[in-house]
Amino acid sequence: MTLTAPSGAAGPGAAAASAGRGRKKRLIRPARTGGSQQRLGPVYLAITPFFALFGVFVLVPVVFSIWLSFQKYSVLGGIGGSEFVGLRNFEFLVQDATFRRAIVNSLLIWVLGTFPMLAMALVVAAMINSVTKLKSFYRLAYFLPNVTSIVAVTLFFGALFSEQFGLINQALEGLGLSGVPWLTDPWAMKVVVATLITWQWCGYNAILYLAGMQAIPGEVYEAAALDGAGPVRQFWSITLPLLRPVVLFTTVISTITTLQTFTEPQVLFGSNTAVNPNSGGPGQGALTMVLYFYQQAFNNNDYGYGAAIAMGVFAVVLVFVVINFRLARTGDDR
Amino acid sequence: MAVPTLPGPEAASGPAAPAPRRRPSAAARRRSLLPHLVLWVGVLAALFPFYWSVVMATNTTRDIFSTPPKLVPGTHLLENISNVFARIDFFGALANTAVVAVVTTVLVLTLDSLAAFAFAKFEFPGRRVLFGLLLLLFMLPAQLSLIPQFLIMRELGWIGQIQALVVPALANAFGVFWMRQYMSTSVPDEVLDASRLDGCGFFRQWWHVAVPTARPGLAFLAIYTFVASWNDYVWPLIVLVNPQVQTLQTSLAQLNVAFGTDYSMVMAGALMAIIPIMAAFLFLSRWFVADGTAGAVK
Amino acid sequence: MSLSRRSFLLTAGLLGAAGSSVLTACGSGGTGGAGDGTELAFWYWAGAISDTVVEDVAAATSGATITPSVIGGDFKQKLTTTLSAGQSVPDITGVKGEDIASFLTQADAFLDLNELGAKDIASTFSAAKYAAATTKEGKQIGLPIDLGPTATYYREDSFAAAGLPTDPAAAGEAVATWDGWFDAARKVKAATGAASVRNSTDIFAVALAQQPSTFVDADGTWAGESDAVKKSWDLAVQSHTDGVSGAVFDGTGYNQALAAGTIVGHVGPAWFGLDIASGAPDTSGKWRVTQCPDGPANIGGSFLTLTTTCRNPQVAFEYIKTLLSAENAAKSFTDASVFPATLAAYDLPALTAGQEFYGGQATIEVFGPAAQALPTVYDDPNNAAIAAPYYTELSNVEGGKDATAAWNDAVSAAKQIAQRAGVQ
Repeated sequence: MTLTAPSGAAGPGAAAASAGRGRKKRLIRPARTGGSQQRLGPVYLAITPFFALFGVFVLVPVVFSIWLSFQKYSVLGGIGGSEFVGLRNFEFLVQDATFRRAIVNSLLIWVLGTFPMLAMALVVAAMINSVTKLKSFYRLAYFLPNVTSIVAVTLFFGALFSEQFGLINQALEGLGLSGVPWLTDPWAMKVVVATLITWQWCGYNAILYLAGMQAIPGEVYEAAALDGAGPVRQFWSITLPLLRPVVLFTTVISTITTLQTFTEPQVLFGSNTAVNPNSGGPGQGALTMVLYFYQQAFNNNDYGYGAAIAMGVFAVVLVFVVINFRLARTGDDR
Repeated sequence: MAVPTLPGPEAASGPAAPAPRRRPSAAARRRSLLPHLVLWVGVLAALFPFYWSVVMATNTTRDIFSTPPKLVPGTHLLENISNVFARIDFFGALANTAVVAVVTTVLVLTLDSLAAFAFAKFEFPGRRVLFGLLLLLFMLPAQLSLIPQFLIMRELGWIGQIQALVVPALANAFGVFWMRQYMSTSVPDEVLDASRLDGCGFFRQWWHVAVPTARPGLAFLAIYTFVASWNDYVWPLIVLVNPQVQTLQTSLAQLNVAFGTDYSMVMAGALMAIIPIMAAFLFLSRWFVADGTAGAVK
Repeated sequence: MSLSRRSFLLTAGLLGAAGSSVLTACGSGGTGGAGDGTELAFWYWAGAISDTVVEDVAAATSGATITPSVIGGDFKQKLTTTLSAGQSVPDITGVKGEDIASFLTQADAFLDLNELGAKDIASTFSAAKYAAATTKEGKQIGLPIDLGPTATYYREDSFAAAGLPTDPAAAGEAVATWDGWFDAARKVKAATGAASVRNSTDIFAVALAQQPSTFVDADGTWAGESDAVKKSWDLAVQSHTDGVSGAVFDGTGYNQALAAGTIVGHVGPAWFGLDIASGAPDTSGKWRVTQCPDGPANIGGSFLTLTTTCRNPQVAFEYIKTLLSAENAAKSFTDASVFPATLAAYDLPALTAGQEFYGGQATIEVFGPAAQALPTVYDDPNNAAIAAPYYTELSNVEGGKDATAAWNDAVSAAKQIAQRAGVQ
């Protein structure tokens, strides 16, 4: 439902990282003759509410979305007023220079907002793992940016980066440097969005890494220490390799969510130009793929094209997730 | 303690960092200070925007825009807050947001843990197919569904009403995954067997055995669902057309768009919007620590 | 909703009565169909009309309770969404000038105000603006709130420094054509270093508004590469190449530039004066207005409409009619710089008085005649969407992009949007 889903998806990965060990799975089979076995009726009853909702609000929309992408859909005319246009929406999509720009913008924000963030998260996790005092405090402090309201936080950052009065430019000027047009230069705009993402998700990922690190048995480190490996060496040759599943997982999730960035540019640049709502700010510097989807679907009321864009976004995300997995596998071969 | 550190019972009881056995030398002590130093820089970076929002919300717009800027909190908080109240129905939005978040969380916990319990511990025809379907659709991006979901809401007559925020959020595949994963390792089969011998049906096993043992997992799901629901922006933006029915996120964004020149007022609104969710998090995380540790000790 | 009974009980128990009652009680917004409803929802946006007038007239209206709401964000999107859903539809709503053309294609969603008596008061409004809310079949879907007759804004001290005439009438002679305006702006730049317009898209908008038709012809054919559009584009680019554009695109940056005196002029609609005055109150007294280069045009200016689901059309129509009376329109001008579409208001003291911000100049002497002389133009429903790439590319040009490349990119993007919308 929400585009801010990374927190959710974090779960299975964390589980995969550390919960895999332990009990062997045993399933209770359906009853044939009664006794201590389980009747099936209640089991189906238990999954019915969830699957009914899942069917209506996930399965049907996905199928419907595919149908829509082949239509010229009339918003006021409804389903009856729509017209089958074949692959036309996709033809437009392939030729659409604005969508290409949105892809490039999203990829740049992804690069700027994911990799430094994950690297920093690793360092933070290693540091927290190495200290004995204040552990809980650090966890809490680093996690806090993640539970705040994203709109509010975006407003805070907009104020910090404001060109004339923002604290950052004032500090730069105080140091004798010149201010940066953070909210109007297409590059600086991406840096602001990436900084926001980093601020909000760095601690979160650090906590995930920390969970993985704590699951590494202490004996491994003790053995390494006996062999004369220092903390840095231990980090590279023990922690990092053993953390691989978690790192891969966070990279995939960050890729998926960062490529779908919407709220930050929408709040920062959504209303900058009255004639041109949600166009991603000056020079469309922060027009992300999902923002473009929103603009076409809900500002221009072009649902058919919007559905086609959504498919395009999905395709782009899929490509980069697959690349992530490929890279991870090449790492395995080495 | 933060949420995702408790993915399973094992993690909480996991070994601590390698502890030095000998008395630390002066060099070692200095070395052990370094991580704290680095961490504190990060903590300051993490907390600074909050401090700055307090500074902005307690000063006037003119102060914020002055050179050099004011760096300490001022005395205009109440004035800014009353300006917020004059422009948006803050408490109405807060009530809507809270109701949506609480109802969504409770229903997600109930529905997802029921389905997850079935998937985790029972074999039934169709189990693999259904779970595979869940997995497949989980990987599709959310915005693929936005337009159809909007049209479904239109058919249901829920446009502009808050059930439009709750009901679709219940189809939360993540929760089922997470709880299935959690329950399959943490709920002991022996206890289930025993309760079945005592004549407990599926629902009583769920309520008396699965739910109590899976509480840390449920707590994580609760925080996750609550935060996601509280912070949801794009869907309310589309579906909440009625100006009388807004959430904190949408009314905050409107405050910014319509009255953006009054910076300190907008910041006061933003500050007020994050206080409840942070309070809820701090409250839940405490309860969570206690529970997680108890589970680990057992 | 398919829930098991158990989870329902659990939910109810956990939430308590309070929570659930909020959930079910919410959101019975403004839909209905009965003709004599006692509640009317009214949507408008901040600055559309004086808030005081809205509330005072609502309080004085008998027969129904009117609940005005200021809608933030993208007004058109909210209105389209609610109309398409047929839920939470307001009874009375504002429609922005740039959106009226596209709502004319959805005229079924609005009441014909002629049937409620609009015909009798049609002549009290600016004819060109009133006609913009009339469908081909003669259905009247809205009453005009305001106009945006365009003019040249300049600072007297800057003109003086540049050796230009400072008196509005004489200055008007100097900027009577675009060539004249560029001459003047270059002289101001040379003398003071300051720009004479916020950014190039402002020039583009005014030049476009002067054309009889723009991106789409009246017969529905593509005209995004027409002389009318290209000429407007070239003027906009010239403001950049001549260095007379401030190249400022954000609100706070603009206010700062006005206050610092790095932007000392503008070409734009009457309502833009409020942006200047509120952005740089310290420059009060220095500003003047005079005629628009190449004659006046209209930019913006909004409408009040009644939706088909309006629960009490009679009361609602009386309400909007009163909001737009000469007296109230004059109040809106005083409170919110909303330049009236109601012609009789131009003779009222609120408009005829000299204005302090303009050094005592009675700006009505410029805007009044401009409002009477607005050209009738064809505004295609798809213009707003098609125009977007041109604005984007102009901002790119000011960021350093080659103007020819920008034009080509704008045209190809706009062409595609037009094709998708069914423009041939």
